[in-house]
Amino acid sequence: MSRAGSKPFPVKKIILLIGTCIGPLMLFAQQSLPANPFTDSTRFIELREVHLQARTASPQQRLVNFYRGNASFTLEDIMARLPEVSFQRRGPYGMEPSIRGYTGGQINVLIDGMRIYGACTDKMDPPTIYIEPLNLDHVQVQTGQNGFLHGSSIGGSVLLKMAEPKHDEEGNLHASVSSGYSSASKGWYESARLHFGTGRWSFLANGTYRKNQDYRAGGGETIPFSAMEKANYGFSAKYRLNENLSVKADFLGDDGWNIGYPALPMDVGYAAARIGSLSIQSEKPKQGWTNWNAKLYANRVQHYMDDTHRPNVPMHMDMPGLSKTYGAFAEGMRQTGQRHSLRLRADVSSTFLTASMTMYPPNEVPMFMLTWPDHRKMQSGLGAAWTFDADSNWRFQANARVDFITHRLTSTDGKEEVAVLGYDTDGRNDLLSNLSLSATRKLLARSAVFMNIAYAERIPTGSELYGFYLFNAQDGYDYIGKADLLRESSFQAETGIKGIVGNVQRVRVSYQLTGFASYLDNYITGIVEPDLSAMTIGANGVKSYQNLPWALQAGGEASLSGALHKQWQAVVTIRYTYARDDQGDPLPFIPPLKSMLSLRYQPGRFSAQAEWEAASRQERYAIRAGEDETPGFMLLHLRCGYSFPVSTSRIGLQAGVENVFDTFYHEHLDWGNIPRQGRNVYIQLNLSF
Amino acid sequence: MKLFSKLYLPIILSAAFFLNACTKDEAVTVDPTAQLIKLTEGYATGAATKVLVYTESSVINTGYTRFYLQLKDSASGADVTQAQVMLMPMMDMGTMKHSAPVENPVSEKATDGLFQAASVFIMSSMGGSWTMTFTVRRPESGKRGSLAIPVTVTDPAKATVKSFTAADDGQKYFIALIEPAQPRIGINDFEIGVYRKATMMSFPADSALNFTIEPEMPTMGHGSPNNVNPTHAQLGHFKGKVNFTMTGFWRVHLDALHGTAVADTTQYFDIEF
Ligand SMILES: [Cu+2]
Ligand SMILES: [Cu+2]
Repeated sequence: MSRAGSKPFPVKKIILLIGTCIGPLMLFAQQSLPANPFTDSTRFIELREVHLQARTASPQQRLVNFYRGNASFTLEDIMARLPEVSFQRRGPYGMEPSIRGYTGGQINVLIDGMRIYGACTDKMDPPTIYIEPLNLDHVQVQTGQNGFLHGSSIGGSVLLKMAEPKHDEEGNLHASVSSGYSSASKGWYESARLHFGTGRWSFLANGTYRKNQDYRAGGGETIPFSAMEKANYGFSAKYRLNENLSVKADFLGDDGWNIGYPALPMDVGYAAARIGSLSIQSEKPKQGWTNWNAKLYANRVQHYMDDTHRPNVPMHMDMPGLSKTYGAFAEGMRQTGQRHSLRLRADVSSTFLTASMTMYPPNEVPMFMLTWPDHRKMQSGLGAAWTFDADSNWRFQANARVDFITHRLTSTDGKEEVAVLGYDTDGRNDLLSNLSLSATRKLLARSAVFMNIAYAERIPTGSELYGFYLFNAQDGYDYIGKADLLRESSFQAETGIKGIVGNVQRVRVSYQLTGFASYLDNYITGIVEPDLSAMTIGANGVKSYQNLPWALQAGGEASLSGALHKQWQAVVTIRYTYARDDQGDPLPFIPPLKSMLSLRYQPGRFSAQAEWEAASRQERYAIRAGEDETPGFMLLHLRCGYSFPVSTSRIGLQAGVENVFDTFYHEHLDWGNIPRQGRNVYIQLNLSF
Repeated sequence: MKLFSKLYLPIILSAAFFLNACTKDEAVTVDPTAQLIKLTEGYATGAATKVLVYTESSVINTGYTRFYLQLKDSASGADVTQAQVMLMPMMDMGTMKHSAPVENPVSEKATDGLFQAASVFIMSSMGGSWTMTFTVRRPESGKRGSLAIPVTVTDPAKATVKSFTAADDGQKYFIALIEPAQPRIGINDFEIGVYRKATMMSFPADSALNFTIEPEMPTMGHGSPNNVNPTHAQLGHFKGKVNFTMTGFWRVHLDALHGTAVADTTQYFDIEF
């Protein structure tokens, strides 16, 4: 099956590795929830997390837990397996999440409720890169009616919840270390985690280090500029004030060096994020306001792009960017009687963005410009979700959110530069409102049908308003913002059925089938400005962000997960999205029909898993955005694991082969048609005590 | 700490700004020559007037150069605020002599005690020697006298005066770049002075041409949007707007026309900042 590559593939080694596959994936073991999760005290922390999640496990959450098993997975790898999510890929790392084809400013990505904005004008640093599966508690992708509760958005929200320390009356110290190797990128993965808790204090520290070389694509070609190196480290301390109240301080740092983006003309030389917060939170559900927490936070992202490793650079340039955000929020839930519950969230934040470009022509003065003229966005919003259980069959929910957002250019330099484009430099004020209504009707056999309609709005991004000749490598145009863009809004409807069939002990199938459609008003996209000359050497021209009269987007998702005697588990997901603009042209970055089937066998300490991934050809591509037709593909991944106790500690081993047939492929959302990783053999060792 | 410094800094800065603004108001009337360089001084013999010559820079380049004259009565030492002032630049090239475009003070009354004039040096002192003659006529006495000073003119790194022979009327024109004097990213004033060479000694301001401009970064091959072509304001001065999207080396192309008849399309000014 494998194509003739530059190097013969060591088939013997694979057989050897598979043969020595020796352990259940540790997290799998936990997530399949053995009868009594508290018998083994050394696994207390993670088990309790799983236990907490299990109470609210949605089909989506079950998927996340299922795929979290591979400890070398990045958050991107896990999220890409959710049917709602796909990624725009400019390089093997730093992919930009997209929910049902919505991306960038159309969605929110929040870490523990905090807003954090990338400092890269080329979107190399979406906030998802700051969370490693090791410090992730859970990820939630909110769509449709709930998509805007955490911030006005038309496409939904990705909520990332960081792991937090747990109080432990016994004062135990837990540690775990992992090490792994991946063949396709000759990549190393190292991580460590330390937890200590007492009745009052609890601490959690974790660190992850990854270093990959240029990876090998299917067929054997090495993809230049695809290497990366990064370190991620977090520290969290919690103090319990009383039974119901605790305060917490979190710090998260992330440093990346020489991160390659093969689809872009530049790489990252160095990027750093510092994310800190102080929070106060209720520990246990009680009467009145429950599950409430309030947080004060600040973060800072620095980004330095680099072209010094690239050949044939017409002129060396520096492109630094900076993003600084501080904010606060409070959220909580209140149950009134048996039938009503209210969830509220109030938040404020302020974000400063600046980025510049300096080119160094020989024998001339440097050429400098602000690519993001210094500007500040201030946001304050209020979201509410009211749920009413009318009777045992009907549940109604109404969600609303308002946001008041101001944009101001903060420097004379910035204002004077924006004035060149003929725009008003006084900034803008926007009041956004979002509303949704939903109804759920219970059916027989633990199933329910649901239906919701929503109106949502979003504010244009900093790049869409004030971006200044930002080169887009996908369509080859320089993009300029438009300060008076109208807000993009959407009327959307979603309907579906979900439920559980079968018996918990033996055969159990949970399913969800969702269909959605939205009509976008004032859809924002890049339109060619024939009179403007491109700044970037070799660019095709200039585009400015403009509002199209309308666009339409519709699709569906289905997921089915089944368990048989607890030893077999199967997960199937399938999704499709259709999107067009007012002229009938397809919208860009819309994934084709895609399906994933995973089968896991776990008789005891040993586990084995096969994943089958298939995408159809995408014939609906946006020529305007530089897209072309993407062929379909099928992939097979095989994984296995074994874990066993050694005195008070536990050793876990995982190994697997991804892209077993060494298929040469790329996904439709991958920029520059850069082929993805070919056959990859990985092995990992985990030690916890 | 950071938050405090963030709050306090603007307060301190704005306080400093107000204080500064107050002191500035008081200082404004004190010395109009504070920002200027005194080039020389001498007596306009015959007019009983002492002439103090100021310029904006100690180096005089080819191109549009402003002169600021302070006049004092040579007997009493009192400021002279009423006088007719005329400039006459002259280049002696050995075999021939020629003058250059001048702008004499528009009024016989001094502004802030100064008489402002300008001259466009059309070549550097490499080609010969420049002499600038300031002629002063005191209206109250009717006395008239001159001060002649040698002027050393150098070529700047980027030429700010260009000349061409018009394709349509065969006349020779000189164009001097006046603004932007301090170019920056953003919308810049664009101002040129346009003069026709009538004789070797006469270079009158010209308002008959019209111009289009197009800025370009030759190194990168791009331009900039929303420029405003210069139109005639007064005395041969044409005013428009030139937009720079970035720092670096810019070339502002200049096409001159008489109505639709093309006079010249080869001229440009290089601006680097
Ligand atoms: Cu970047
Ligand atoms: Cu340029």
